[in-house]
Amino acid sequence: MRIKGSFILIAFICQHSFVFGQKDEKNTLEFLPVFGNSILHLGDSFYKLTNGDSIQFETLKFYISGIELVKDDKLVWKEGNSFHLIDASVIQSLSILLNIKQTIFFNKIKFNIGIDSITNVSGALSGDLDPTRGMYWTWQSGYINFKLEGSSNQCKTRNSEFQFHLGGYLQPFSTLQNVILPVRKQKMQVVVMDIEKFISAIDLITENHIMSPGKEAAMLSEKLPGIFSFHDQ
Amino acid sequence: MKRRALLSVIFCFGLCAFSGLKDALFIIPKNWPIPKYDFSKNSLTIEKVELGRALFYDPILSGNNTISCASCHSPFTAFAHVDHALSHGIDNRIGNRNAPALMNLAWHNSFMWDGAINHLDVQPLAPISNRDEMDDDIRNVVSKLQTSKIYPALFYKAFGDSIISSEHQLKAISQFLLTVVSANSKYDSVMRNESTFSIQEKNGYKLFQENCTSCHAEPLFTNLQFENNGLALDTTLNDYGRMKVTHNPDDSLKFKVPTLRNIEFTYPYMHDGRFKRLADVLNHYATGIHKSKTLAKQLLKPIELSSNDRVDVIAFLLTLTDKEFLFNQKYSYPKNIFHSPPQE
Repeated sequence: MRIKGSFILIAFICQHSFVFGQKDEKNTLEFLPVFGNSILHLGDSFYKLTNGDSIQFETLKFYISGIELVKDDKLVWKEGNSFHLIDASVIQSLSILLNIKQTIFFNKIKFNIGIDSITNVSGALSGDLDPTRGMYWTWQSGYINFKLEGSSNQCKTRNSEFQFHLGGYLQPFSTLQNVILPVRKQKMQVVVMDIEKFISAIDLITENHIMSPGKEAAMLSEKLPGIFSFHDQ
Repeated sequence: MKRRALLSVIFCFGLCAFSGLKDALFIIPKNWPIPKYDFSKNSLTIEKVELGRALFYDPILSGNNTISCASCHSPFTAFAHVDHALSHGIDNRIGNRNAPALMNLAWHNSFMWDGAINHLDVQPLAPISNRDEMDDDIRNVVSKLQTSKIYPALFYKAFGDSIISSEHQLKAISQFLLTVVSANSKYDSVMRNESTFSIQEKNGYKLFQENCTSCHAEPLFTNLQFENNGLALDTTLNDYGRMKVTHNPDDSLKFKVPTLRNIEFTYPYMHDGRFKRLADVLNHYATGIHKSKTLAKQLLKPIELSSNDRVDVIAFLLTLTDKEFLFNQKYSYPKNIFHSPPQE
């Protein structure tokens, strides 16, 4: 009976909750940028667009903030001072170590893509929020929440380049996005972000250059939550 | 907000109590509103203010080390750029707006003519990066400061850390600018019942209150809002002001209402420096208003004043000159720092 009970409990946890707090590696939220079925590499790797043309990426940088763990819609853990600059060219930045001391059960993970409006009006900040990190607009105060740059012959621009710098905290053009990922299995700490889903939402021929807050940035940023998912194995 | 205000007050009283009113780094003048700047996140110290002052006067902040903040914001003209309609930067490049006077910035929570900057701390990033102003990059500025002979020691003295960060650099500049307060003009002494207006000034003040205070609200002489004051678009600049920030057509041609304190010295006037004399400004409000959808409602009817009344208004405006402020040694070029670097 005891054995059976324990088994049911474990099965229950595996089915409904994701356990953090037992081993360090389990406390790590890891981001894996992909393009469709391929792992995304910056630089000289080329990927195929649905229309057959090629695309290449130079920069992928974005902020993850406000990480929360939720169990049945109840907040069970919240990261303090939760601001992380993820830079695909800096391997270490792709893993966020969550400082969870006790064992907690949760079945959803929540985070924001970008920086909230209060932080945007808080003056000079340090660490990942330091304006020297290249994610701050100098001529109009505010953080760039998401930066994707690269080239594709679809873009009739200089060197076929595209730049998407999505940011802006003022309404009605706020670009802050919230992601909620349901946790189903034990091995799901890798968050896959599929850049193909973002790119396929854009017509690169007409839209290849967003460098300031506004309607375009706000609309494109709405595509971002949909590119994140937990890696199902 | 309330808590912040309370903290500011406690902070200010703390400073006053600590060092005596006369030497306090920042005092809220009597009957003035609570500052908008959150001093609890950047408490003033003598060392930090001095560091900020050095940075303000140092051309090391520009791409080719030729232009400092003070190049366009001279202390002797209330930190404005006299005689230059548009600011100019390195290599004689010309910007597209008039460099505004700097004073009483603790009471502002937006900066620049269009309010594109949302906090005093991050304001220096704009001119540092602007190609037509200082044309540098904050990363490069921080690394120049780090390798300079004087700054690691000054940052250590101020922040207890000789590794220079942009946060410390920007906060130090804020510290200096927060101390730049003008509140001791003749107008102020009249308000404190320490002196009296002449008959002309008194009439000018009355006319000012009838016609101007809805935007140029006392005691800051700005309501800190964005207004269209009827300036026709200069098609060589095509500057639509606040609309560039908000993308809202209702903000077209609106610019931040400037303070009138020390206006005697802050010519030329308006965001593009189009008026050289105060008389030109009064003429504009009488006969020059360009009507458009976003025009401030107060200006729908022109402000027509007799020539005597205009003279009186200008007489009043000159009572906003604060000599103590203009010649305050605390704001001047820090010779001691630049000419005798500390020995290490």
